[in-house]
Amino acid sequence: MEMLSQFFASHVMQESLAPALLISVVTASMSVMVLAHRLSFLTVGVSHASLAGLGLAVTLSLPLLPTATVTALLITLLLANIPKKQGITDDAGIGMLFAGSMALGVVLISTASRYEVDLFGLLFGNILTISSSEMQWLSLVGVLILGSMVVLARGWWSIAFDPTTAAAAGLPVPTMRMLLYGVTGLTVVMCVKLAGIVLTTGLLVLPAACAWFWGRSLAGLWSLSVIFSLTGTLAGLVISYQNDWPSGATVVMALCCIFIISWGAAWLKQRVQKHKEQE
Amino acid sequence: MSAQVVSISDLSFGPEKSPVLDQINLQLEAGHFMGIIGPNGAGKSTLLAAIAGLIQPSCGTVELFGKPLNQFSRHKLLKQVGFLNQLHEHEPHLPLRVRDVVAMGSAGYAAPLWKQSNNRAEIMAALEQVEMADLAERDFRHLSGGQRQRVRLARALVRQPRLLLLDEPSAALDSKRQDRLYALLRSLCSDQGMTIIMVEHDIAAITAYVDSVACLNRRIHHHAMQGEQIPDDIWHAMYGDHIHIVAHDAGCIGCAHPTEEAQ
Repeated sequence: MEMLSQFFASHVMQESLAPALLISVVTASMSVMVLAHRLSFLTVGVSHASLAGLGLAVTLSLPLLPTATVTALLITLLLANIPKKQGITDDAGIGMLFAGSMALGVVLISTASRYEVDLFGLLFGNILTISSSEMQWLSLVGVLILGSMVVLARGWWSIAFDPTTAAAAGLPVPTMRMLLYGVTGLTVVMCVKLAGIVLTTGLLVLPAACAWFWGRSLAGLWSLSVIFSLTGTLAGLVISYQNDWPSGATVVMALCCIFIISWGAAWLKQRVQKHKEQE
Repeated sequence: MSAQVVSISDLSFGPEKSPVLDQINLQLEAGHFMGIIGPNGAGKSTLLAAIAGLIQPSCGTVELFGKPLNQFSRHKLLKQVGFLNQLHEHEPHLPLRVRDVVAMGSAGYAAPLWKQSNNRAEIMAALEQVEMADLAERDFRHLSGGQRQRVRLARALVRQPRLLLLDEPSAALDSKRQDRLYALLRSLCSDQGMTIIMVEHDIAAITAYVDSVACLNRRIHHHAMQGEQIPDDIWHAMYGDHIHIVAHDAGCIGCAHPTEEAQ
């Protein structure tokens, strides 16, 4: 208890708690769509490719987050328009762009030696160093993502289930897919501040994966995903504060633990149900 | 005189040298129940997609309810056309209740979250029609293939469309369920004036229920009305020479069974 009160009294944690929880809610919401549309690898690709944006920002002295956001958005839209008809599949396209953009980012950052670059923070996240302008940017992007979810969630859900029938029911499937890719790209950039380029996918996959065992509808999945994500983020921040561990990595570890517990509980529930049916 | 629901003129789709659909002409009136048969790759699903406005034909026109397809607003069209694609064309891992799947067929399903997206009474009525109302709260992932197919049919029916396009609706159903499905579709045409176009492979199973059968293999080789025998040369044109043709008494349209010994 004493540790908790110290945690909440800490100035650094007070400042990082709000952005961390905001990121947590936004990513948990989008993670439902990431799993439904099988976009996990896309999030890996975009998060790594955003290093090119960060490299560009460092080289040209541009603000980090906005530049990374625009670059991620462009890369995501490029991925959405990969010429599939010519035999280039989604995963191959993501692999190519991911490697190419990351290579560009590494070269740009390594040549910009006159700037001090927190490479560890970029790779693994550092929510404790968030500035007020970054917080404003995150809030703006967060509202945009949540707003898109409120307007488009049912359509995206319907397309995830059956795109042909969704198209027959009047949904503009290609446009909505493009929007989904774009909003996923924005979400990835939001995550980078908390979990870094390497661990971002954890925040975008684990919350919905934990909820997948229990939810039976879009609303149920969404709520559970947010609850799991908030729990993991809060627990991760507290543990990282207590042990002086990196915050992003600890949050992802906490979410992994929740996933294992959720998985185990779902397995146990299934066993009990089977046992009851046999009786 | 009944109103014309579907009118297709000189419809072609695909490359000019080897079109998937070639010069299709078809007229159907309200309340008509038509089966489409043909071998794999004959263009059956493509024809349904063209009628639903999912693909743009290379040439020719599709008119629904007396109006060219491209003059419909998508919203108005979807209110009047129900569509059921093949069983494998859905994502089986999504956590969904049965009634949520049916709700996806409602006209306002994709509306923003603050708007009412469906009518529960309509959903339950559609589930009643396919005898699945008692499983409305069940997880769709835990249903059998046949049960899933019936739920998907309820989704196509939930808006009570005037035109229903069905691609192999009896897939995964046992013969008893197949008969009940065809009887339901027959009654929708006869009692409610719904027009149905249904792709099926087993002509023997549908002859007692449909008003006509179109024999399709890139083009419509023959459009047989109820009571009409399909000529032998049509069967051969569609399936090749290695088929054995037998008479069928259910609806006197005809029946074909590919057999080894007939080769």
